[in-house]
Amino acid sequence: MNALPDRYASDDLVLGEPGDGRNLARRLSKRYAARITGAFVVPGREGRFAPLPDDLPDALAGALRARGIDQLYSHQAEAWQATRAGAHVAIVTPTASGKSLCYTLPVVAAAMQDHAKALYLFPTKALAQDQVAELLELNQAGALGVKAFTFDGDTPGDARQAIRLHGDIVVSNPDMLHQGILPHHTKWAQFFENLRYVVIDEVHTYRGVFGSHVANVIRRLKRVCAFYGVNPQFILCSATIGNPQEHAEALIEDAVTAITESGAPTGDKHVLLWNPPVVNPDLGLRASARSQTNRIARLAIKSGMKTLVFAQSRSMVEVLTKYLKDVFDHDPRKRPRIRAYRGGYLPKERRAAERAMREGSIDGIVSTSALELGVDIGSLDAVVLNGYPGSVAATWQRFGRAGRRQQSALGVLVASSDPLDQYLVRHPEFFQGATPEHARIQPDQPLILLDHIRCAAFELPFTGDEMFGTEVATPWLDLLAEEGVLHREGDRWEWIADSYPAIAVSLRSVADGNFVVVDRTDGRQTIIAEVDYSAAAVTLYEGAIHMVQSLPYQVEKLDWEGRKAYVTRTNADYYTDAIDYTKLKVLDCFDSSHAGCGHAHHGEVHVVRRVPGYKKIRFYSHENIGYGPVNLPDQELHTTAVWWQLPQMVLEAAFEQRQQALDGFLGAACALHIVATVAVMAEARDLQKAVGSGDGAWFASTDLRGRGQLRGSDGQPAALAPGAPFTPTVYLYDAFPGGIGHSEPLFRRREDLLAQSVSLIERCDCRAGCPACVGPVLAADESAPSLPSASPDGLDATTPKALALRVLALLVAL
Amino acid sequence: MPPELRRLLQRHAQLKRGLTMVPSSCDRDVPGIELSPGLRYTEAFADWLVPPRIIDAGFARMDPVHHDRLLHFDTETTGLAGGTGTRAFMIGAADWQEGRLRIRQLTITTMAAEAAMLRAFAEWLDEDTVLVSYNGKCYDAPLLATRYRLARLPNPLAGRGHLDLLHPVRRHWKHQWPNCRLATAERQLLGVVREDDLPGAEAPAAWLTYLRGGSARNLRRVAAHNAQDLKSLAGVLLHMATLQEA
Repeated sequence: MNALPDRYASDDLVLGEPGDGRNLARRLSKRYAARITGAFVVPGREGRFAPLPDDLPDALAGALRARGIDQLYSHQAEAWQATRAGAHVAIVTPTASGKSLCYTLPVVAAAMQDHAKALYLFPTKALAQDQVAELLELNQAGALGVKAFTFDGDTPGDARQAIRLHGDIVVSNPDMLHQGILPHHTKWAQFFENLRYVVIDEVHTYRGVFGSHVANVIRRLKRVCAFYGVNPQFILCSATIGNPQEHAEALIEDAVTAITESGAPTGDKHVLLWNPPVVNPDLGLRASARSQTNRIARLAIKSGMKTLVFAQSRSMVEVLTKYLKDVFDHDPRKRPRIRAYRGGYLPKERRAAERAMREGSIDGIVSTSALELGVDIGSLDAVVLNGYPGSVAATWQRFGRAGRRQQSALGVLVASSDPLDQYLVRHPEFFQGATPEHARIQPDQPLILLDHIRCAAFELPFTGDEMFGTEVATPWLDLLAEEGVLHREGDRWEWIADSYPAIAVSLRSVADGNFVVVDRTDGRQTIIAEVDYSAAAVTLYEGAIHMVQSLPYQVEKLDWEGRKAYVTRTNADYYTDAIDYTKLKVLDCFDSSHAGCGHAHHGEVHVVRRVPGYKKIRFYSHENIGYGPVNLPDQELHTTAVWWQLPQMVLEAAFEQRQQALDGFLGAACALHIVATVAVMAEARDLQKAVGSGDGAWFASTDLRGRGQLRGSDGQPAALAPGAPFTPTVYLYDAFPGGIGHSEPLFRRREDLLAQSVSLIERCDCRAGCPACVGPVLAADESAPSLPSASPDGLDATTPKALALRVLALLVAL
Repeated sequence: MPPELRRLLQRHAQLKRGLTMVPSSCDRDVPGIELSPGLRYTEAFADWLVPPRIIDAGFARMDPVHHDRLLHFDTETTGLAGGTGTRAFMIGAADWQEGRLRIRQLTITTMAAEAAMLRAFAEWLDEDTVLVSYNGKCYDAPLLATRYRLARLPNPLAGRGHLDLLHPVRRHWKHQWPNCRLATAERQLLGVVREDDLPGAEAPAAWLTYLRGGSARNLRRVAAHNAQDLKSLAGVLLHMATLQEA
């Protein structure tokens, strides 16, 4: 029935007058009341302005006026005053509030007046290029004579020397600073001697492992600056997070002045939470988020609203783009109105999409999180999220893309069938009232710290009791001397090895080289896309349909070692979806102890992610029309973990069925993961959980019904023979090659973690379990009537929440 | 640092790979006189060809130059990784003294002596010096520039004329010879055949072994290798200058 034409998207909902979020929100709410589980308005605000500062150089003021800027927003003026007063500054205002002017003004003024230099760091090359384009326009408008360049892996060798010597503003990224600039700092001597400002934009993206690395790169930067006798001022910018000032201070390890009140005017924003309608009441099946997203986007575009659709995966971007193109771009003689935007396109193609969007020649753009950051694509009226992006902060960052103009905008979050999405739309108050997530980093994580002390020792010798960040470096240096890379002479440690340590340290953990996609249709040899290493196994297997700008290509040959996929154009009426799973094996147990009736351990483990096959899914009808095998090397991770086990006897006494014990372990894993993540201040993605057999014979995952499903070592759903051994184990492991050192502190706090997990579940307001404690549960579980106390062993004792508590109780010390 | 943490870090550093213990040796003889603590100096004369008074450097698109002004130089370094972590532990230089080739070498036996070595080498240069090297423009000169910068000393190589023979040799013979390394050039042009030559790639280990208390034998072979490089450098330059006349 999905294949039927969409008769509900009737054009009577299309607005007559163009682009008004309030009206479309109202019409949608009226027509689809049953699907809207939450609606709220984020009120706009009047702009607050300040005159251009008197101490701004005349030529710069002139350049601003020539570009139509006669006054500043209040936060821009505050930033000017704070930076001129010499403070480190953090600017925390929404997307599109004119953040870049906050640092452009002091930096350009200092370059003009004192020939002071500035280093800009952006998380991506695309943002760096945007920034240089903007600086060049300002420079031209006032003939300011300020030279700005990007410096990254794409910068040609012969241009590098000129940039080092003549660049007033060098725009780069943390990876390049780490591998290309700091280890060659003597070539940049002139630049460093005159360095006054370091600008770090999008600091909310520097969290977890990546953020911990970046904080250490900043330590190295400050150390090199001290060698050249400078102490630059930091200007940091962040999107809204729960702890912007704390995070900025943690990154640069110094006090910052935070500017958090935006003076930029915004229109009202109308936000709808949208749950697809139930299409099969018997099975509780809902229509797909994709169909709903498609419908809402179509209405918004037909109503003349510039619309941005966020999808969770690259293939979903392509599918949604195709659907919208089928409606709006069926006439090839007309200019295209719909475009896709995602990582993996060539830079040229992305620039073209950005430009077309800014110029207003595109009406709809479908993107992955690539557009969450400050890529300039001009004004938007509506944002539709196809699925929950995983955090409240990211949701608001995406909605922040709409409503640049002073007119009301629309934001719709369409829930997918993912249990977390379903939980959220059932609890809009959680979404609306929650403070955005906190960004956490742990720069003193031992392995990360050791890597960067290694790099720092290469850059400049350590002497005496030198500190690195908050640690005395000596014990770390001794360790490196033992390894043979440093040589100690008196109180100096000098680099002695014939190696370049920064090359071996990736700030973004696993970055094993991108894959290029080569089109071989009709004897061509054209590179049409790039795919990063982590996505290659699930998108470029032989047989995969790889979509580029919604044109399907089929992968004919994958050269894994050479990092190349060869594709040809195809007219397939289906797309492909990889099946993947994770399993885990214990290699070495460092330490063990009793944990209630069971045991706790920590040690080294081997984690394997495998893609055994893929599904073929027909466009529109989404029926599964076949499977294909995939033969690829496993993605392996050698890391450290902490794990808990209960003996089979204990479980058999405590649970009537093995399924219940398994569900209990999955729920306990979820609670332990939440508690442990907080305990070691990790990013949720840096610490992972798994439930499997103690001997690696099987592992378990939560299926679509929210229940544990066993899978054998081949990844196929399996059932245990009644007599087979049954020792379910819950693992928490570092999702970081070589381990990140979480397991040891977690093992030390094992009793505390269990107690906290019990308390987390007990105190949770939910009845049967929810993503905030034991993981997402089915609506059926949640709404089942609470049984009277007359039934002590009744249904209540088998809710996911109760089962998890039972497992934890067995692990808590007697 | 707690011991468990230390163990974890050691495991990850894969100490097994790095733990090559250097046996301490009684052969600790580094030739030369000690100019200052840790800095050794040797000087030798070689009767090796006879230079014309004025050398035609047209093959390298440079003006003719009096042979008194030439300073042939070559460094021995701790590796090829590049960046701020690679250093020279030996600097050799050759110049013409009354028709004979004088070969001077500076070797450091401690890290701390590096600054003294850099100062001593700087004194060998003056405003008129024309440097002669083999791939020195891309390798030795930038490496020394980095070392002078790190020692906070002015770079004496900056602004000096520099005749890098690699490029003219390549232009002439890249199609005739299997490669254009100095060892190939000296064999083809000067008929030099080295005996018991320590390959350049083993120089870092030779010095490191000595630094860690091991034998000085290979370090002396590095010095011999360096001296032969300097002689060949002078010879190749003279050969190329005559080539021009022909």
